[in-house]
Amino acid sequence: MKVDAVKTLEEIKKILHESGDLKSRTVQFFGTQVAICYIAPIVDNILLNQTIMDPMLAYPFKAEDDILTTLKEYVLSNNEVSEYIDIDSAIEKLLSGHCLMLVDNADHILSCDIEKITVRPIAEPPTSVVIKGPREGFNESLKYNLALIRKRAKTNDLVVKTLEIGKMTKSQVAVVYFDSIVDKNNVKQIMRRLKNIQIDGLIDSHYLVSYLQKNPTSLFKQVGDTEKPDVLVAKMLEGRIGIIVDGSPIALTLPFILIEDLQNSDDYYSQPIRVTFIRILRLVGVILAVLLPGVYVALEKYHYKILPTEFLVTIMNTTQGIPFSPFIELLFVVLLFEILYEANLRMPQYFGMAMSIVGALVLGETAVNAGLVSPPAVMIVALSGITFYIIPSQAAQFSVLRLIALVIGAAVGLYGILLFCVFLISYLSSFDSYNSAYLAPTAPLIMQDQKDMFKREIIKKMYKRPKSISNNHDNVDRRGKDEN
Amino acid sequence: MKINYRQLSVMIFFSFISLKFLVLPSVLYLHSGNMSWLVVLVLMILDGLFAISIIDLMKKNQDSNINEFMNNTIGPVLTKIFLAVLALKFFLQVANIVKGLEFFVVENFYNNFSWILYILPLIGLTSFMMYKGLRNIARVQEVFCWSIVIGCIYIGCKSFSGVDPLVYLPMFKDGAVPLFESGYRHLSWFGSSTFLLILFGKVDFQNPRKKLCIKYIIFAIILVQFIYFIFYGLFDITSPTHTFAISDISQFTSSKSIIDELSWLVVSLWVIMQSIQIALYGYCLVLSLMYLFHIKSKIVVITFVNILIFALSYLGAETINLEQIFFTPFASIVTIISQYIIPPILWIGYMVRHRRQNKISGVKNEKTKVNI
Amino acid sequence: MKKLKSIFSPRKLIIWIFIIILIITVPEIARPAMSKTEAIVTMMCIDKDGEDIKVCTSVLTPASEKTANYEVYSGKGKTVGEAVENISLALGKSIGFAQCEIMGFGDNLSEEGIMSTLDFMTRTRRVGRNALLINFSGEVEKFAQAVVNMNIEKSLHLEDIMNFDQRYILSEDSNIHSFYKGYFSKISLGIMPKIKLETEDKGNSIEVQESATGGGSSNEPGSGSGGDSKKEYILNDGTACIFRNGEKILEITPDTMKKLNLFINESQEGTLTIDHVTDDLYDDASIILHVSKKDVSFTPKFDGEKPIYEISIDVTVLVEEVDEENPSLKFLKRNKEFLTPTLIEKTKQQVEKQAYEIIEYCKENKVDLIHVYEFFYRKQYKKFSEYYDKMQEKYLDNIDYKISVKVNSSY
Repeated sequence: MKVDAVKTLEEIKKILHESGDLKSRTVQFFGTQVAICYIAPIVDNILLNQTIMDPMLAYPFKAEDDILTTLKEYVLSNNEVSEYIDIDSAIEKLLSGHCLMLVDNADHILSCDIEKITVRPIAEPPTSVVIKGPREGFNESLKYNLALIRKRAKTNDLVVKTLEIGKMTKSQVAVVYFDSIVDKNNVKQIMRRLKNIQIDGLIDSHYLVSYLQKNPTSLFKQVGDTEKPDVLVAKMLEGRIGIIVDGSPIALTLPFILIEDLQNSDDYYSQPIRVTFIRILRLVGVILAVLLPGVYVALEKYHYKILPTEFLVTIMNTTQGIPFSPFIELLFVVLLFEILYEANLRMPQYFGMAMSIVGALVLGETAVNAGLVSPPAVMIVALSGITFYIIPSQAAQFSVLRLIALVIGAAVGLYGILLFCVFLISYLSSFDSYNSAYLAPTAPLIMQDQKDMFKREIIKKMYKRPKSISNNHDNVDRRGKDEN
Repeated sequence: MKINYRQLSVMIFFSFISLKFLVLPSVLYLHSGNMSWLVVLVLMILDGLFAISIIDLMKKNQDSNINEFMNNTIGPVLTKIFLAVLALKFFLQVANIVKGLEFFVVENFYNNFSWILYILPLIGLTSFMMYKGLRNIARVQEVFCWSIVIGCIYIGCKSFSGVDPLVYLPMFKDGAVPLFESGYRHLSWFGSSTFLLILFGKVDFQNPRKKLCIKYIIFAIILVQFIYFIFYGLFDITSPTHTFAISDISQFTSSKSIIDELSWLVVSLWVIMQSIQIALYGYCLVLSLMYLFHIKSKIVVITFVNILIFALSYLGAETINLEQIFFTPFASIVTIISQYIIPPILWIGYMVRHRRQNKISGVKNEKTKVNI
Repeated sequence: MKKLKSIFSPRKLIIWIFIIILIITVPEIARPAMSKTEAIVTMMCIDKDGEDIKVCTSVLTPASEKTANYEVYSGKGKTVGEAVENISLALGKSIGFAQCEIMGFGDNLSEEGIMSTLDFMTRTRRVGRNALLINFSGEVEKFAQAVVNMNIEKSLHLEDIMNFDQRYILSEDSNIHSFYKGYFSKISLGIMPKIKLETEDKGNSIEVQESATGGGSSNEPGSGSGGDSKKEYILNDGTACIFRNGEKILEITPDTMKKLNLFINESQEGTLTIDHVTDDLYDDASIILHVSKKDVSFTPKFDGEKPIYEISIDVTVLVEEVDEENPSLKFLKRNKEFLTPTLIEKTKQQVEKQAYEIIEYCKENKVDLIHVYEFFYRKQYKKFSEYYDKMQEKYLDNIDYKISVKVNSSY
């Protein structure tokens, strides 16, 4: 089939529904008509002029018989020039920022990459701010994000596999890992799952979570995420696989184990003893966040005899005259807290301060003064609410669990809460994320990995890759030696 | 889904201490007085020895489950009988813990507590764990193991100063016969290694740390002896009035302070441990019933076991004094068969079969040699 | 069938159970706090009132300040249970004894026997085994009110006072646990401190306002200023009572109690007064020694058929006060040398003398306060059993007591 420049251009216009942003120009190149078309908003005009228009119009020599070969090999200074026989593939390229060149009587359509990349500058991600350590964060460009990873992993061991997901959006997805470290079965499994995704659009990397997770309806997340290239590379060095989606600043990591959320990138850049203390504090924080309101209600409703008399006196004095039962009182404060949080999050920034004042001071103080809620109830919920954000990535889960614990505490008391704890652990133990136990290295207990559990050993001593993560167990020594 | 060797050790440890710290110390004192610790020590060592022998047998038969193993070694009839006895033993163990825990919870946490509120959440939890299987139970045990150990040691140390070692004198006041009688009478609290029989083919013995199981067993025996030493040393002649050893030791203090209230945390850990044990023995009961009646659907058997537990709790709450069952010769005989008779028979069966197989393979080898 | 299976899938089964629990517990959820539906008793005093039993409870009530507020409520009945029920009816709340830290028994009830009351309290009412037991004199209602007033007026708690006494001065160790231990032992002996309610100041007593008492089943505290209100005095002078088989048989005077404390390791502190010390350093001085440490050990032996009870008392003392006609400046400092050989010798004699006095007291009253039975039973079981079979109650009389005293000095 020979290309007719004008007719093919018309056909392309038709296929794109005479889209207004499709621009075209027809030029004569040594007597042959060449139609150039591109989507204006996504191409770089300078590149267009410098690599296509200028060389074509100012070409000083005589053209060869085959114009297409002349253009491709002598004229165009663009770094990516490709040929397409069928019009659909060419249009696909056109839509991703290429410029199509339709040469009369040629066998192929030429395409040149002149994509304009509009990106947010690389900045520190707001969700994972560090005191010491790298401040680079991913942005929405896959290319930039891969560049950030490549910058940190200058090895031929780094594998980047790309694929396209989304019938409409055709989003580029990159699966990155270190070939010698990763568990190959996991790579196969992830690639299979990704290839099987049937969806029209992939807007953000979180769209992939439900496809990658084994229990998609579970409350607990089973896919890790990060906005920081240093964290991603560190995780990949432990044998995890990274998944980056074009258009999303958040990279997913697999396999995921619960302890990852107790760890923070800051931990590895700070003094180990302090980190150990902070990690224990985080664990205590988790327990307080989830159980405190429930335990308080249970104690007040059923088990006052557990309390020392002095403490009981304080509670009795402060709760006298409150018209509601302890459960209703706590539920009221918890819901108030959740509403305030949600409103504060969505509200324009300049309203934020006013909202805090209204929420914390006016509502809280007035409710206590009016005798609707007691000061301990406000304190308990506030404490539990603050401790949520010791581990911000799990805050959503904690908030649901807190409500459940509250109901159980009011209904069955301490016994119910104890069983709830066992159930929670049992439920979490039942997950396996890509051959890695969700509660590892606690259950199953892996002694070697205790070096980076609550206690954080000095980096020098953590020379073995964690066993908790399913990785290539023949390459566990970080110093480059085999275990044997 | 197999469990690893460490998880098996933790399981044995839990099983060894689980029934020992609630009702047993006080009821034992009634019959064996200040020598109760010796009864416990001897029976626990026996349990330990049998546990080691069963683990050895498990190591030799890693691929077949107990049903297949018994069928191959001792024949289908004995298999059926033994499975029925094992099921009975597990049921007794579940019943013992369910009732013990109910009294424990009601006494320690509540003034008026409905039995239905006790049993329904428990059934919900244990069903989930039974359904999720052995590995899930093992993992949960691993999570709570050390906190429970630390809790027990904390309780013991806190009350250590009040212990009067003189209470252990005079020894063997009435001779050894009452101790044997008492041991026989309380056998249903022992037989802690019977559950191992059901775990045939469910343990992964790859790279086991040598003697880890033995270490855990010894540690369990020491811990139990430590708590018994504290309990009898504190309460001496009034021991039978202290129904729940672990909570009564923790509350033994002359003045109240905030730190003393921490003992409630330890008492709470005990509730957690007992509920996990119910799930473990329940799981063993479910498996033995599945093997016994060739039922393939786990859910059906779990539902049946739950109905049993529910009925048990209802009967216990309404009509029968269930505690008496655990003292009957029937309960002791079930323990004797399941704990002390089945493992040796299995060993003998295994040895006979092994020898026979060796003979056959020897003959085959000779034949092939001739052919060559 | 498939539909049925999907309804009873494991995930759904758990949800079903959760829903059932929720439905059952809905009424529970809305229930008020237990501390509001139960009267929380922190102390209870019991005594006979004619044929009936009268129980007075100090109930914790909420106050607008941060401090605790207590009120006394009383009830009468044929048994303790009935009396408690009457209080419960009057208050419209059930009675919670979990926080009850002190139980007082009046003289009348003590003489009649307190075991049934204790049994009731520990069996069904779940009073903690570490609740302190005291014996009190005076009218039950007045005593309870006086103790409550002491709490409110002086912020002094009887349980704190008793706990302090037990640890440092008079080691009677009288809580329910130790009382039971004594009661169930072969000699069935228990000891309990006595608190007296006096109408006049006897020196080391605590003054409280007397409040008017009413006769009904409930009673308001005398919180208002009653103009010319009378005063009462709570006296804890170290008197103790001895119970056998749960009945009070003897009252020990503070002096005897002090001597008895020489035999008790747990009472770490006390004083000894040595009169007429004359040597190179002292001239007919009266010296008060502070006992800072004590180590008492008992060794039961048999010499043939004759039981021997060796008591070794090792005291560490410090010269605390020297009372001389012409006091010298040298005494006004702390010095180990003040414990001269004469003083040591005199101290030994004094301790020995006190110890023998206590032994005589025990023999005379047939009360084994020095653990003779306990030690012989534990360490010389066979021989002692034969001996006890012969002697029965008089077993204390025929024992050869040997006392050895060692006096050490402390800084």
